[in-house]
Amino acid sequence: MRFASWWIGRVASAAGTLLGVSVLIFAAVRFMPGGYAQIVLGPFATPGERAALAARYGLEDPLVVQYGRWIASVGRGDFGTSLLSKEPVAAELVQRLPVTAELAVLAAVAAVLVGVPLGVLTAVRSRDGGGAAAGRLASGLGVSVPEFVLGSLLVFVFSRYALGLTVGGYVPFAADPGANLRAMALPATVLAVAATTAVARTTRDAVMNVLTEQYVTAAVARGEPPWFIVRHHVLRNAAVPVVIVLTVITASLLGGALIVEYLFDLPGVGSYIVQAVGRRDYAVVQAGVLLAATVFILMNVIADFVVGVVDPRLGAAARNGGV
Amino acid sequence: MRTRWLAGGAAIAVLAASGCGAGGGPPAGPQKQPAYLAEADTGLPEGGRLDLQIHVDSGAATGLDPQGADTATSWQLMSLVYETLVTVGSDFDPEPGLAEKWEQPSPTKYVFHLRDDVEFSNGRAMTADDVVGSMERLLDGSATWKGQLGPLKSVDKVDAGTVEFTLDRPYTPFLAALANVPAAVLPMKEVADGSVDPAKDMLGTGPFVMAKHRQDVSWRFDRNEHYWADGAPALDGIDISVAPQGSTRIAGLQDGSSGMAILDNVDAPQVLKGARDVEVGTQATTDFFYLMLNTKAAGSKFADKRVRSAVNIAMDRQLMADAGTGGLGSPTAVTPAGLPGACDPAELPAAKEDLDRARKLLEDAGAEDLSFKLAIYSTEPAPAIAQVVQQNLEKIGVTVDIQQLDEGSWADEVYGASPAKFDAALSWFAGYADPAMVGQWWNPESAGFNQGFMTPDPALDKAIDTAVSEPEGKGRAAALEKLCAAVDADAQMIPLVTRPLIVGYRKDAVSPSLYGTEGYGNALRLAADFRAAK
Repeated sequence: MRFASWWIGRVASAAGTLLGVSVLIFAAVRFMPGGYAQIVLGPFATPGERAALAARYGLEDPLVVQYGRWIASVGRGDFGTSLLSKEPVAAELVQRLPVTAELAVLAAVAAVLVGVPLGVLTAVRSRDGGGAAAGRLASGLGVSVPEFVLGSLLVFVFSRYALGLTVGGYVPFAADPGANLRAMALPATVLAVAATTAVARTTRDAVMNVLTEQYVTAAVARGEPPWFIVRHHVLRNAAVPVVIVLTVITASLLGGALIVEYLFDLPGVGSYIVQAVGRRDYAVVQAGVLLAATVFILMNVIADFVVGVVDPRLGAAARNGGV
Repeated sequence: MRTRWLAGGAAIAVLAASGCGAGGGPPAGPQKQPAYLAEADTGLPEGGRLDLQIHVDSGAATGLDPQGADTATSWQLMSLVYETLVTVGSDFDPEPGLAEKWEQPSPTKYVFHLRDDVEFSNGRAMTADDVVGSMERLLDGSATWKGQLGPLKSVDKVDAGTVEFTLDRPYTPFLAALANVPAAVLPMKEVADGSVDPAKDMLGTGPFVMAKHRQDVSWRFDRNEHYWADGAPALDGIDISVAPQGSTRIAGLQDGSSGMAILDNVDAPQVLKGARDVEVGTQATTDFFYLMLNTKAAGSKFADKRVRSAVNIAMDRQLMADAGTGGLGSPTAVTPAGLPGACDPAELPAAKEDLDRARKLLEDAGAEDLSFKLAIYSTEPAPAIAQVVQQNLEKIGVTVDIQQLDEGSWADEVYGASPAKFDAALSWFAGYADPAMVGQWWNPESAGFNQGFMTPDPALDKAIDTAVSEPEGKGRAAALEKLCAAVDADAQMIPLVTRPLIVGYRKDAVSPSLYGTEGYGNALRLAADFRAAK
């Protein structure tokens, strides 16, 4: 019973958050300077043409009416029609989501494969002063260098020295896996740097925390080898914060890596939203942001579930309101 | 059959001789441009596809309908599928298109004789009814291009292969206006029966058929097997990807992931200097940047003609061409530089004045401490040109605050209200293929878009009307001079410098044909002649 009510509460909370996001984004795009008419119709349009466009999309109705109509459509699975392409937004999002998802997965996998071992290593060697300082410097740089700086740097360097990779020139994986990976390597690397740093730091902190536990001291006293202690006693108990941070990172990436997709001309959700903002394509911006928020909230719910599986004590505590 | 040109080796020689290659070099304006920037090597075999990257997709409210296309990007893409009765040659003279010949029995009549071997890409023969129907659809609609067709009164079918156009009064740019994509011949039978919606479908007589389009992502064009010109198109197709970032287009050329790219960064030739197998050329265009001064805003100093004249006098167009466009553009008057009969911008009245005169005008107008905001958008090379404007005006004591806005905010400032909100703004016009065409936008009552910031000037309107109606000859040359002087004196929209179109391609991927100067911003005008190099 408690389990069911916990889930009902989570879903209700998620729905409330989404509703709030929908109101915010709906209002935000309409308060941006520059209307759809100037962008979509251009300067030569007559007042009659502007009025006709407004009437076709109901853009002169009161905002409350427009919002009600939009949210009702979203409830039916209709995210509206792009003012520019005249195509359903949902269909375009479906085409673009795989690009964004692939980018997010590549970055997340790289973050785990590099970040977790790095975090464990720096935790175990934390008493090595030089190594610790180098680790802190690297993680500081990884977190603080903006994506557009690192991305621009890679674009510049790899434009000159391709080394088998391509800058832009996206090709779907199904069409040519090799070309796809060559095009995705650089943008995934840009995203992976910050993600790897976050995962490594979280892993390091978690592992150092676990290393002070008495059961680890006992294992050392029993003469168990270090790799065995790390694998059997440390990693499992340090996994919870790592899973949480990884989930949050992946969720934010799935919502569209706006800057990286735009910088590398990847036809994903992020670049779709950026272009739509520039053109005041209301339906696209609203749908894109709502999708990003939905993914983010969903991933957080999944994180709660996974944490409960990894550490049943935390799962039970959460459901009982303890965490 | 379309004219064939010299071998591709000549293309490289032309690029080098024009100073337009990757090395940059001295300023190369349209007057120095060769007729062809590159000519396809007809010795290469037919077949193969071209990977092309462009910076922005067609985005007209009227969708894929060529009659509603109002930007150079749309014209470029749609010209692969649609054709017009006449086209323009490298010297801007009208050349046969879907009409094999024409005559002008009177100043207000044009009779076109249609080719008898033209089919739409569905295999149906093009008829005189398609021509008449297309033009009537254009005249009945609200397309921008209708204004450029001037006083076209009626279009009538004479017989199965002949069509007669009647104008209300003489209009010299008529053939040039007829040569642009919005005046294309549509499949009117299919449009009438509803099997083709031009806003969503593309069915034309051009060298390619549109196989696939994803807005802002990509286009796929395949060869039109029914194309009328023998041996054309040489390519099997063109795959176009929309890559807004100039850096990725440059990288694509370098790493070979694209065969050709339209580049908007005037530094691109320098950046690509020495890149293996990459050729970069600057196609001069008749497009030009202009400065808008809002005379209608409440309390605007620009309502005083003396202030506008002072600003105009201070404009150093050569510096703009050299510094703002990297030496790739040219100073221009309202008659675009590069077009036959265009005015010499150095001979404009304001260009002959000195800065002391400008300072005196400001003093007389009580505007010694003039400062204003200049609204620009981020597309290259507008920011660099705006900086030159700022530096020019600093010399006469005017302070300019440059505001770089996104496209939506910029459009809102300039077109969003009447009177418009902005002080001054920078933009560019397509310059078209006749020196009097673009000048018509200086009449706000007929242009419409500038009514919010431009006050009608009867003397200027008269000069515009005379320039478009005067037939070729000495009379027209004088009329164009008067038009240039009138625009210069009015100074509400001040022509500055032409906008270069930079085209990069890989020699191991494509051998293209490119005019040296382009009137409609269409680097793909000769795409039917392109050859794949691998």
